[in-house]
Amino acid sequence: MQNFQQNLSLACRDKIKQPVIYCVLVIILSLLPIVIKSTYVIQIFIIVFVYIIATSSLRTIATSGQVSLGHAGFMSIGAYSAGIMSKLLGWAPWITIPLGAIATSAIAILVGYPFSRLRSIYFSMISLFFGVAILSINSVFAEYTGGSYGLTGIPPMFIGSKIPYYYYFLGLTVFSLLFLYRIESCRIGMSFKAIAQSPQVASSIGINESGYRVLALAVGCFIVGLVGASYAHYNTVLSHSSFNFLASIYLLVYMIVGGIQSFGGPIIGVVILVWVPELFRDLKEFTPYIFVAIILVVVYVMPKGITGLFERVKLWIKMRREGKVITHAS
Amino acid sequence: MLLKIDGLTKHFGGITALNHIDMYVNQGEMVGLIGPNGAGKTTVFNLITGFLRPNIGKIFFDGYAITGMKPHVIAKLGIGRTFQLNPFFGEFTVLQNILASFYLHPKSNLWDAFFNTHTYRRNEAYILEQATEILVQVGLYKVKDELAKNLPHGYQKMLGMARALATKPKLLLLDEPMGGMSSEEIDFALTAIQKTRQQGITILLIEHRLQIMDFCDRIIVLSFGTKIAEGTIHEIRKKEEVIKAYFGIDHAT
Repeated sequence: MQNFQQNLSLACRDKIKQPVIYCVLVIILSLLPIVIKSTYVIQIFIIVFVYIIATSSLRTIATSGQVSLGHAGFMSIGAYSAGIMSKLLGWAPWITIPLGAIATSAIAILVGYPFSRLRSIYFSMISLFFGVAILSINSVFAEYTGGSYGLTGIPPMFIGSKIPYYYYFLGLTVFSLLFLYRIESCRIGMSFKAIAQSPQVASSIGINESGYRVLALAVGCFIVGLVGASYAHYNTVLSHSSFNFLASIYLLVYMIVGGIQSFGGPIIGVVILVWVPELFRDLKEFTPYIFVAIILVVVYVMPKGITGLFERVKLWIKMRREGKVITHAS
Repeated sequence: MLLKIDGLTKHFGGITALNHIDMYVNQGEMVGLIGPNGAGKTTVFNLITGFLRPNIGKIFFDGYAITGMKPHVIAKLGIGRTFQLNPFFGEFTVLQNILASFYLHPKSNLWDAFFNTHTYRRNEAYILEQATEILVQVGLYKVKDELAKNLPHGYQKMLGMARALATKPKLLLLDEPMGGMSSEEIDFALTAIQKTRQQGITILLIEHRLQIMDFCDRIIVLSFGTKIAEGTIHEIRKKEEVIKAYFGIDHAT
């Protein structure tokens, strides 16, 4: 039995190898505000956390074979619903944030059923249209959403310092990543991957294809709604343009550069690429072009992203050590 | 009668792929489905397993009318199948392929899976034991950690069968289980199929090789979407229509 348990953990989950390292990393991150006094750096860290959560949730949807191009649109649902609820109804952030996440998830389930009939590129197309359409709905209900002026005066979560926000978003990141990791490493994640690889074979073994597609979308959108709603209470101003098509594309770029195959891919992608707009501040209009250049290089040089490159180097070192020549079996 | 098909008709655009097919499979039988290329054999499989909907006709399995049901529901009722091409999950290892195929037995609950409860862990351990047994049965245990897409062709076909067995079907549909296999692999596959049959699983299979046809209780011959013959191998060998369909009119006379 013991042996079976061990085999099992090898077979269906890539166990977190050194939980200690991750704990140390979280402790270092939580000590950071004591060392760094600059509000600017703290703000950048908060943005990094927001992007890590959003990109990881995008990857969870992508493991089921659905690459969403409208993820920022889903994030806007969480952000705007939380913002409007707290502004009009005067509810506390601790209520509006979970409600925002639930609203996002509910809309994902509603649109997920018709979307689940479309596979691969067709899903990407419809999700792109969804992302654009949800923004137009914003301007239709300008009375509540503020239209193109943006939604202003959302009650903040904490008054004054940015440090509490830092801890809040750090905690949210840890929670979201654990949540998504758990989904991925259990049978649910296995079914997502099975659907992505071969929908026919998956349904022939009894996996409800459209059901799991919708589930993946609902889970990913719950997390992105959660971070979107938190962002509304952090920024207190929501602008139309922060959730546009380009924002969705950026999330996709972070994911592809980091690597879709592994769970850590989005995290690495965000940590490396979030500095790009900061570095090229003077060339703000050209940021999209810089991203295009980066993605072209990545797709040609390392099609499986940065984590894929790590894997390849690891394999190469292992082969060298064993004195084998790398052969490609297929 | 485990499977019963009544007047099954399927059109693809203007082409009639199947025209009023009636057939049945009894419990514990092994039935072969043969016919020249394009006869509609795989279409029959796709209709039974719900990947296609028939234009006319009804399919009954184990007392249920399964016409037009979704594939995953039909799988749940106990029909397992293999595919001619891409019979597995390429990016999974051999063992993972089988583990994923134990989706239905025992039925895992989403909450149990997410919270990693005691029931879930016990189920997973049980599944692993069963998966190992199946891999030993079809002779894939030694390659269990290879990625499925890297396997040689014969192994891939066997993996497809192992995957279908893992769903614990009452009826197993095998679509050319030996297509492109070498003679040793065929012997091996034959023993695996025989073993499956001894476990009481009913088999309906598409195959061109006559070796396996000798093991079938009954053979159904399709040609251009119509059933032209049915019977034991000795009976159908003598039928004029069958010879015509396979070798042309000249040889029949």
